[in-house]
Amino acid sequence: MRKRLIFTLLFEDGYFVLSRNFRTQRIGDIDWLQRNYDFSRVAFFIDELIILNVSSTSQNQKAFCDVVKQVSRGCFAPISAGGGIRSVEDARELFNSGADKVVLNKALYDNPLLIQEITATWGRQATVGSLDARRVGDTFGFFSDRGKVQQPISAVQSMVSDKTVGEIYLTSIERDGTGQGLDLELVDFFQTLNLANIPTIIAGGAGKPDHLISALNHLGVGSVATANLLNFVGEGLKSARTLISESGIDLATWDVPSTLI
Amino acid sequence: MPALEGNPNVTVVDYGMGNIHSLVSALRYLGARVEVSAEASRISRSSLIILPGVGSFPAAMSIIRERGIDIALRETVENPSARLLGICLGMQLLGQASVEDGGADGLGILEFEVRKFGEAEKGSLPLPHIGFNAVFHNSQSSLFKGMGESADYYFVHEFQCLAGKSNGLESLSTYGDIFVAAIEDGQVFGTQFHPEKSQTNGLRVLSNFLEIQS
Repeated sequence: MRKRLIFTLLFEDGYFVLSRNFRTQRIGDIDWLQRNYDFSRVAFFIDELIILNVSSTSQNQKAFCDVVKQVSRGCFAPISAGGGIRSVEDARELFNSGADKVVLNKALYDNPLLIQEITATWGRQATVGSLDARRVGDTFGFFSDRGKVQQPISAVQSMVSDKTVGEIYLTSIERDGTGQGLDLELVDFFQTLNLANIPTIIAGGAGKPDHLISALNHLGVGSVATANLLNFVGEGLKSARTLISESGIDLATWDVPSTLI
Repeated sequence: MPALEGNPNVTVVDYGMGNIHSLVSALRYLGARVEVSAEASRISRSSLIILPGVGSFPAAMSIIRERGIDIALRETVENPSARLLGICLGMQLLGQASVEDGGADGLGILEFEVRKFGEAEKGSLPLPHIGFNAVFHNSQSSLFKGMGESADYYFVHEFQCLAGKSNGLESLSTYGDIFVAAIEDGQVFGTQFHPEKSQTNGLRVLSNFLEIQS
């Protein structure tokens, strides 16, 4: 089994954004993205792509679907998309826009029926549960609503033991966008909850390839994600992939079309 | 990727389970003319058919039977010039039966049965099996023509087709257990992995399938 390097794009009200401790900063629109990240090329240097809509209003669902459509063109790797999914129709629009999986966050806590409806049609493996966590006292707590509302840990425990979703996307709110490295203590904590061993992608804090390497070398970690638009711009993802492989971590290989190298 | 000669017509069976968007995009990228259909009559007239699918085996089989797609697919494989490729759940459905969700009979076109991952079920490995994994190509299989001994492909599944139970050319992979990652038996093909999501490795497999001469 190969390990996975995943890139996450954050979209908010028409712009791709950088997030730091869940506060966002606009970087550029889809034209900026295509200039700096030609996704038909960049997608050949990652194992999967995640696109998250972090807009606070739900009016932007159509604009978000358009972005998913544009980014997914020419991408032959799995794409997960989500943020603001309130209905089966929202999920269907994302699948029809090129998503292979949908990412769910708030519904994990307040609308389990919606998740059941989505898995009944598209299968559990087409769902990713996004968990946002940070330190609370001497342990960790899970939060919804962009890190504002704490949710009971029992909700996460039952989600995991019932295998409600096919995968988990675990973000450290404290490390998010800081570039200080991924929170491996959070990973250890989550592993004590994840008794059903649901595949988990860890995110939040990767600032350079060394952070991805040390996380992938951590016990039990199979997948890492970075959402840092600026640190991995241009040749960044290609060279990160090369460095990770050269460090001895087992990443998948394929030919990159010669016109794109 | 090289463009295919003659833009082959391919029918993708859409029985309402799972997402066929990326498969259709990959086929079009390769130059195929793609028709998406759930109509039994349309399927039985096609000579190049792909049966995709994700989700639950019994649920998929009940829709397939309801719409007469099972009969159309069995007719198809009796037509010597037709070729059928099952992808992921679509490959599992070609087999005899699965234990998923209380169990159900499959299409019975291939001999294998679908079982749980024995080792991973014990908790030693995460389930579903998600991500890229190495497949050891059966050197006689036309799906992997010109692709060397092995390559990495993207998997996402919880059940496996048992190896060594069919007459077909099996290409194997390992996840705790050894399982069938791809199969070729005459004009019937299957991949447990998603060729449409496996970067250029998968595009080559799809392109090989479309170009196989019957």
